[in-house]
Amino acid sequence: MAYGTVSADIIQSSVPGVSLGAGNASIMKNRIINGAMGIAQRGTSTSITSNGQFCSVDRFRTYTNGTWGTGTFTATQSSSAPTGFSNSLGITITATDALSTSTASYIIGQTIEGNNTYDLGYGTANAKTVTLSFWVQSSLTGTFGGVIQNNAGNYSYPFSYTISSANTWTQISVTIAGPTTGTWLTGTSGSIYVYWSLGANSSLLAAAGSWTSTANISGATGQTNIISTNGATFYITGVQLEVGSSATGFEYRQYGQELALCQRYFYKAASGLGASGLGEAFAAGTYYNTAQISAFLNFPVTMRTAPTLYYTSVAGYYRFDASNTSVSFSTLTTYYVAATGTMIYNASTSGTQGNGGIMSTTNASSYIGFTAEL
Amino acid sequence: MYKLIKNPFNGKEDTVTKTEGDITLCIPFADDNTDYQAYLKWLEAGNTPLPADTGA
Repeated sequence: MAYGTVSADIIQSSVPGVSLGAGNASIMKNRIINGAMGIAQRGTSTSITSNGQFCSVDRFRTYTNGTWGTGTFTATQSSSAPTGFSNSLGITITATDALSTSTASYIIGQTIEGNNTYDLGYGTANAKTVTLSFWVQSSLTGTFGGVIQNNAGNYSYPFSYTISSANTWTQISVTIAGPTTGTWLTGTSGSIYVYWSLGANSSLLAAAGSWTSTANISGATGQTNIISTNGATFYITGVQLEVGSSATGFEYRQYGQELALCQRYFYKAASGLGASGLGEAFAAGTYYNTAQISAFLNFPVTMRTAPTLYYTSVAGYYRFDASNTSVSFSTLTTYYVAATGTMIYNASTSGTQGNGGIMSTTNASSYIGFTAEL
Repeated sequence: MYKLIKNPFNGKEDTVTKTEGDITLCIPFADDNTDYQAYLKWLEAGNTPLPADTGA
C-alpha cells in the first residue's frame, strides 16, 4: 500500500538541526571522511610549513595551487567544538605571507576518492547538486573562501561564506549545482577536492557561485586571507558533503567505522611504548637467514593502493625478540607490498635462521605507519 | 634523496626510500601510490636516485 510522495528534498523533524535529506540514503550520506575531526592517527599537533602535510586529523591536509611561501601554522586536533561535536581542526598562524607573489596559495582540505563519488555524475548531463556544510570559527571576521575542484585543477567552483562574529562557532551551508562538464576521475584516483582557502594572491581567486575552467583557482574573490595575520586562528568541524540542495543533520558514525574509513588511506601500525610502557608489537616474523629478519604485517582494512611505509628511522627504535634474545635495529624496508598487507624486513641484525619472533617498538618516539593517501 | 632498494628475494629494484630527518619513507612501485607518482615526476625532472646497495 502506497502512502504518497513527499515533494521535498529535505524532511525536517521537530528537533532543530535534525532532518533527513535527498541523498537516497540516511547513512553514509556524507562523502567527507572524519568530518567531525575525531581521528588523529598521526598525532594531535603538527607544525605546517609546506604543501602536502597532514593537519593532525586524518584525511585533512595542506594543498597549494601555486607555491607555498613564507606562511606557516600549527594544526591541532582541538577540543574546541560547537555543541554536538568533541573536536575540531584548529589552525593558528605562526608566520605570515603577504601574498604578493602571483602564485601564492595556501589551502587546507580533503580529496574524495573516485570510488565514493561516481554516483554524482560529475562531468555529465546528470550531475547532481550537492551541499557542503560545516561549522567554523575564526579570530577574524569577514568573507572567507573555498573551492570545489577536480583532480587536474582546471575546473572549479569557488564559494564564499561569512563569519560575522569573531571566535564564535557559525554553521555554514553552501549548495553547489553539479558540473556538467570538466574531467572528474573515478576509481581509486582523487575525484573531488574540497578546499578551504587560508590565503591566495588575487590572481588565483575567482567569483563565488559558479563553475569556472580557469586553472588553479584557490579561493573566492574578496576573501579574507588568514595566512596574512600572525596569530590568527581558524577552527573547522562538522564537515559534510551530501547530495541535495539543503544541508541535513550531520551524519554521526561510530568511532570504529570512522577509523576504518580513515585507515583505507593511513594506518598507524604502532607508536611509542604502548600501554605496557615496554613497546608495541607490530609484526610477527622469522630469521629468513642469519642476517635478515622478515615479517608479515596485515592491514586492518584494504587500503586504497599499495601503501608507503612511513617510520621514524633512529638507532634502537625497534627490536626483534626471538628465542629469548632481543636485538635492536633502526631501519625497515617493505617488499611484496599490497593493499591488504606487506612483508617487512631488516637486514642489519644477526640470529639463528628459522627462529621466529616479534617486531616491536622500543622508544616513545618510535612510529610506524602506512600511507595510501590521495 | 631517493635511494633504490632491491627486493631481497628476486633482486628486482621495486622500491625506493626517502629519508627526511628522522622520518624514512619506503615507497613501492605502485602506479596509484601518490608518493611513487611524485618519485616519477622527480625522475622526469632529470634527477637520478642513489643506487641500491650491492647484494641487498
